[in-house]
Amino acid sequence: MEGSKILCNAKLINDNPNTQGRDYVKQKTHAEENLPDRFELFILDEGQQKIEVREETKVPNTTVFTFNKEDHTLGNLISQRLLKYDYITFSAYKVPHPLFATFELRVTTDGSITPKDAVVRCCKDVIQDLSKVSMSFQGEWLNQKIIEEGQRDAEVRDQGNY
Amino acid sequence: MDIDDFGPKEPTCRMLEANDKRAYFIVRDWNLETANSLRRVMLAEVPTLAIDTVEVLDNTSVLADEFIAHRLGLIPLIAEDVDKLIDFRDCDCEDSRCDNCSVTLRLKAKCTGNDVMKVYARDMVIESMPPSDKLGQPVITDAEGNGSCIVKLRKGQAIDMRCIAKKGIAKEHAKWAPSAAIGFEYDPANKLHHLDLWYEGDDPKKEWPVDETRVDLDGGPEKTDEPFNYDAVPERFFFDVETVGGLSPDSIVNNGIKVLQQKLASVIKELTGVDEASAGLDGAQSPTMDGGFGNDGYGNDGGYTTPGYGGANAYAGGTTPYGATPYGGAPGW
Repeated sequence: MEGSKILCNAKLINDNPNTQGRDYVKQKTHAEENLPDRFELFILDEGQQKIEVREETKVPNTTVFTFNKEDHTLGNLISQRLLKYDYITFSAYKVPHPLFATFELRVTTDGSITPKDAVVRCCKDVIQDLSKVSMSFQGEWLNQKIIEEGQRDAEVRDQGNY
Repeated sequence: MDIDDFGPKEPTCRMLEANDKRAYFIVRDWNLETANSLRRVMLAEVPTLAIDTVEVLDNTSVLADEFIAHRLGLIPLIAEDVDKLIDFRDCDCEDSRCDNCSVTLRLKAKCTGNDVMKVYARDMVIESMPPSDKLGQPVITDAEGNGSCIVKLRKGQAIDMRCIAKKGIAKEHAKWAPSAAIGFEYDPANKLHHLDLWYEGDDPKKEWPVDETRVDLDGGPEKTDEPFNYDAVPERFFFDVETVGGLSPDSIVNNGIKVLQQKLASVIKELTGVDEASAGLDGAQSPTMDGGFGNDGYGNDGGYTTPGYGGANAYAGGTTPYGATPYGGAPGW
């Protein structure tokens, strides 16, 4: 794939006899025509919903969530995290086909909470967790940066003395 | 396992190295799934800036237009304030090249001398009015201050190109990747036996080098006299984030966390039908989060306690990257 698209509706630079006039937008090759656009991995199709919720009728307290335009980043995170709550009896995800950016999350609870609420609660907890990491990281980063800059300054000063 | 088992332990960072190129740190008391998701997000979903469209006004160099366009796309640009740009797919402007969604750089060079002339990234000049001064400038880290070499010209050859740089993520194209590399490891001593080491002789321990420093940081080598703990899970994670130059290492980590939080918030919004932000969660915890996780038994939803989601932050305008606006334009935030 190209690093960037070319748009050649350009005007000829007159003072250069070697320049050929180009008046085209680059045609796609056959291979490129079949290639799906990469942004289809994360931008929802026309009218597509982010999450489709389907109640599983054969098993009680079970819901299958279909996440569109999401991948293992979210699938693994949510399904694994859910397993840590004791009201979850089953939680797993699958990517039905690797060429389509979608995954199915199946959640069964013990009935004390709906699968939907369980997922929402799980997401909230992860967000809080991440906030803590973020805070801790920012503090540590500043500390270490100051230390390392101090060391560098000290080195410079030492060199000046010699 | 009960949630309270890990409730009281809060994830904390320990920085081992912090400079302009690299953030090398450990996160303790965390879990593998979140750590891995953060790694994936930092690799592929942190927005940066890269040249996406090139208008060729003149090219008499020996390289084809496409070839140079590709090289231009891969040049790292300073992206410290990309949040101030909106996604070009959401922008109302024609052919997406307005100052709200793009930065235009001009590369114009002609060789007049007898020597071969090298055209460098530093020769690109910003033509548009980017929302901040540095945004869109080519990253220059070499001692000479040249930046990447784009093309060589002989006498009489010239190039003139208008490059439109846009905000994007590495999921679409690797040129938008913020990090050159992300080191990620847990359990360097293989105490959890997640690795099955390949070996030729009798003992894999003789054939595999051990990173002593990391093993020490992770609680020492395996104790052979104790029985194997089948319930043990990884809790300490080594991250080594190295930047390309467009974003500082700490911005990559902070933005990665933000993007992941937005992702999760969009799930909440989608499932509850309520924009969490506009629901006015007055119960939001204090930024110190002392009374946080697990203490309230989930009786009240603590809301988000992300620093930087205040009303005046860059995301508050309802223009989060890629459409999802979980925190968008909400009053009281």
